[in-house]
Amino acid sequence: MQKLVVIGAGMASGRVLEHLFETDPDAYDVTLFNAEPRGNYNRIMLSPVLSGEKSYDEIVTHDDDWYGERNITCRFGERVMGIDRARKVVIGEHGEAPYDKLILGTGSDPFIIPIEGHDLPGVISYRDLDDTNAMIEASGAPGGSAVVIGGGLLGLEAAAGLRLRGMEVTVLHLAGHLMERQLDEAAGYLLQKDLEKRGITVLTGASTKAIRGTDQVEGVTLEDGTEIDAGLVVMAVGIRPAATLAKEAGLEVGKAVKVDAQMQTSDPDIYAVGECVEFDGTLFGLVAPLYEQARVLARTLAGEEDAFVVKQLSTKLKVTGCDLFSAGDFAEGEGREDIVFRDPARGVYKRLVIEDDKLVGAVMYGDTADSNWFFGLIKDGTEIEEMRETLIFGPGFQGGAAADPMAAVAALPPEAEICGCNGVCKGQIVDAIQDGATDLGTVKTATKASASCGTCTNLVEQLLSVTLGADYAGQGAQPVCGCTDLSHEDVRRLIKSQELKSQPAVWQELAWKTPNGCHVCRPAINYYLLADWPLEYADDPQSRFVNERNHANIQKDGTYSVVPRMWGGLTNADELRAIADAAEKYAVQTVKVTGGQRIDLLGVKKEDLPAIWSDLNAAGLVSGHAYSKGLRTVKTCVGREHCRFGTQDSTALGVQLEKRLWGSWTPHKVKLGVSGCPRNCAEATCKDIGIVCVESGFEIGVGGAAGMDVKEVEPLVKVATEDEAEAWVVAFVQLYREHAKYLDRAYKWIAKVGLDWVRETLSDDATRAALVERFDLSQSVYQKDPWAERSDAKTRRDYAPLADFTLEAAE
Amino acid sequence: METATDTTTRTFIQVSEVWVPQGDSLKLAAGDYGDLALFEEASRQETFARGEGLPGKAWAEARPVVLKDLDGSYFKRADAARAAGLTSAVAVPVFDGKALKAVLVVICSDDDTRTGAIEVWSEKDGLLMLDDGYYGAAKHFEWVSQHTHFPRGQGLPGGVWAAETPMLLRDLGSGYRFIRADSAGKAGLTTGLGVPIPVPGGRTYVLTLLSARGTPIARRFELWDARAARVGKAHDAVLVDGICAREGALWDPDNAGNEPQVTAWQGPIGRVLGTGAPVVETETHPAGYASMVALPIHKDGELAHIVAWYC
Repeated sequence: MQKLVVIGAGMASGRVLEHLFETDPDAYDVTLFNAEPRGNYNRIMLSPVLSGEKSYDEIVTHDDDWYGERNITCRFGERVMGIDRARKVVIGEHGEAPYDKLILGTGSDPFIIPIEGHDLPGVISYRDLDDTNAMIEASGAPGGSAVVIGGGLLGLEAAAGLRLRGMEVTVLHLAGHLMERQLDEAAGYLLQKDLEKRGITVLTGASTKAIRGTDQVEGVTLEDGTEIDAGLVVMAVGIRPAATLAKEAGLEVGKAVKVDAQMQTSDPDIYAVGECVEFDGTLFGLVAPLYEQARVLARTLAGEEDAFVVKQLSTKLKVTGCDLFSAGDFAEGEGREDIVFRDPARGVYKRLVIEDDKLVGAVMYGDTADSNWFFGLIKDGTEIEEMRETLIFGPGFQGGAAADPMAAVAALPPEAEICGCNGVCKGQIVDAIQDGATDLGTVKTATKASASCGTCTNLVEQLLSVTLGADYAGQGAQPVCGCTDLSHEDVRRLIKSQELKSQPAVWQELAWKTPNGCHVCRPAINYYLLADWPLEYADDPQSRFVNERNHANIQKDGTYSVVPRMWGGLTNADELRAIADAAEKYAVQTVKVTGGQRIDLLGVKKEDLPAIWSDLNAAGLVSGHAYSKGLRTVKTCVGREHCRFGTQDSTALGVQLEKRLWGSWTPHKVKLGVSGCPRNCAEATCKDIGIVCVESGFEIGVGGAAGMDVKEVEPLVKVATEDEAEAWVVAFVQLYREHAKYLDRAYKWIAKVGLDWVRETLSDDATRAALVERFDLSQSVYQKDPWAERSDAKTRRDYAPLADFTLEAAE
Repeated sequence: METATDTTTRTFIQVSEVWVPQGDSLKLAAGDYGDLALFEEASRQETFARGEGLPGKAWAEARPVVLKDLDGSYFKRADAARAAGLTSAVAVPVFDGKALKAVLVVICSDDDTRTGAIEVWSEKDGLLMLDDGYYGAAKHFEWVSQHTHFPRGQGLPGGVWAAETPMLLRDLGSGYRFIRADSAGKAGLTTGLGVPIPVPGGRTYVLTLLSARGTPIARRFELWDARAARVGKAHDAVLVDGICAREGALWDPDNAGNEPQVTAWQGPIGRVLGTGAPVVETETHPAGYASMVALPIHKDGELAHIVAWYC
């Protein structure tokens, strides 16, 4: 009988032994080393043990009887110190063990981030039963709190388990969404929502700086300065193959112990299986390939031919109530097509990724009934062309109707506010319809929904349609784009009423048909989110047009224009000198005075932008936002300070307004004018907002334009003081920011909602004050000079060309 | 897994019965009365109007109801109960949306040795508070429970609330050292089954059955998942978790995707799938148990889960 020594009583080596004893019980005399003082248990079920949903006894794979019946010599709790390949012995802490064949099943070690405090008591990894018991022990302290670093599979299972045990739990995850290796953004959003429903706090984009504590962990400090108190810190940031023993024995080791398809290492008598293995450049962490390796190795040891092949893997999370599935590759790419299905009411998201008529990836959340079927299609590389149209509905389609275009509205709860102006909820509207209202007019009469600004009209119509079915034939409204059936107004309303604060939340809860929008809807959604949730939502530069992303207007020759802000059209000798210097230094082709009383430097190379901004910044000049959907210019005349007809200090008021409004993002560009008298030298009456000063005060008009459409402003209000004028202008801008469709200039928006509604709304002192307050809150985040924020070395690199081909060509 | 090795015969629940709506009243559909023949006879002659007696109250008020002292209460069969030594009862309405499918009633007798817990938790101000519960001899645990609340995700009630799914916890008193768990351990409570009880109006109720070593509520627990999102639209259910005194763990991760499955009308679980109502059965189960109770949970217009316990 040959001597077989196995180092590591893990799941892979355990499975090898099972196969081996099934095939030929008398082939080997087995000695089994394990550093843990116990035999093989189902390590992947430790999370349910932590949560209390399984007991340790239930997850024991091989108990003492199993080993005894097979005459296996168990050396549990004994570390292996080395392998003497020349003498073919394994050197344990308590003596040697000779081998004819040796299996390495040393598994992996948890990766510990080497930050300050990582070695404090109370900081633990999550790999084995001892770690699990340590967490259970720590959760016993009443009112205890834990931080889990790492929002991958293991970290989230630990978090859910600790929460069930009674702890306050915070998950810190470096990436932008949870389980980013297995899930896309949309599924990550749903998972986060589910975990938050369990009372777990999830912080994404969270970088841990240090772990605090003296004799025991007391908390965690993040890079952004956030402090989180915790008596337990669980590090679940990944694993590293445990290959030291193999390396010291002189075996070939790369990222892990290198094996061939028969699981043989560089020594023909030594094999390896499990997480310590590297095969064909691939490492392994999930159980399915480990079991496959075990099967192959057992056959190899039995003298049979077999070969290990890397196959597609699928992922499931063991948190009760979180149903997710992911398999294959779901990265976006050239030639790939997505099929997306969402059911916001049930929290369902399914995405299939197709390439060359084959399913290459699948992500599912909330409905995983067909996951095995999809996984089979991926593994088998099945041609799906013929079932492409119905593929998303699974093998039983065949009942699958087309996605319901009203799904988002149907999914809204009764308390969802539909008409913000009159505070009317979905339930009230549905009740009115059920009580006999059959069209928009009768609903309006019964509930006042859509009776004011009218932007919720389409939502009310959709509710009529959902409630009355085929009996209702409404007008419908233009959807934002092909990604959704909702109009801009619908989306705006629902972002507010359903408190949707991220792009994935919008995509999912409003049943978007694409994974993450398109070039049409993303800029709009990005704007709506930042306008409604300035503190919670972070502007996404990738959802902006190129000019806004680069903070400069691209010209037809590929160069950019640079326009410094000149408050109210005022400048001075120092600023002009700096502009002249910059024009010379950066070989500016054209210097142009604009219609908005600014100086435009045209022909600046992209790579020079950070430098010219920096130079202009040094002279006190900031970006003029000549490229933005935001405040452009405030044009003024000289006013009463210099002009004999001037009735008020129009220049000062213009400067004051510009300093208040600059930096704010708006649905479209906003231009202001302040004229000191009705002679209107600042051409205020064709601006989005125009103020004409008169002896008795200030006449404010809105909705002017002098572009493709030429329009004179319509009178909004006349006020007596500058302060009142400023408050009305700010409130108007905020009302426009909160209600208008993206890319609607003010005059277009006013035409839709009616100037009467705008005037009536702003006339209410409390409403006006609240609008001003919300505007100022937004400005606390967004009133920043983009030039100053982009003068660092990183930005310079980003703006630099990738390669200088001209030089190469010259050489 | 101490419950799984328990071999005592005294059980915490003595009577289980299912009352189904028929016209304007509830009629007995099935019951397990053990050797309490007279009480069974009294029950078979009874019907309950909406709001009448314990089942009628659970129906009318659309909530689980705990009645700890049958004697002198609105319990219609009080005389028969007294004669049978029955003292306390819990009625659990089973709603599918607004439609009542049935009322499950479990009745217990009180003595100094029967330990266990049947609790009803309801949400108040964002926390689950004990609505009421029957604990038998576990008086200290009862007192602790009355002074405990659960946020979302914490403990068995909070976990069920957050996950909106039944849960089966093992080793109730070990490892948990917060006060209720410590007390549970001292009371000998080992296994906990938590079940969401959906009712019209959307109020949150969670039913927990905590089983003790000496007088278990059951010796076998099963959790079946019947959601279309999990098993497709075939009106099937798969066994996703369970523990049995005779067979050990009823789950197998190596068999994921091929769990035991039943279809409508196939066996007692299949009958629950078919009718949408609870089943109480006294036929011998293949694992050798004399009786079983299966309770369905309807959610979002479908039969989502079934929990079953066997004695």
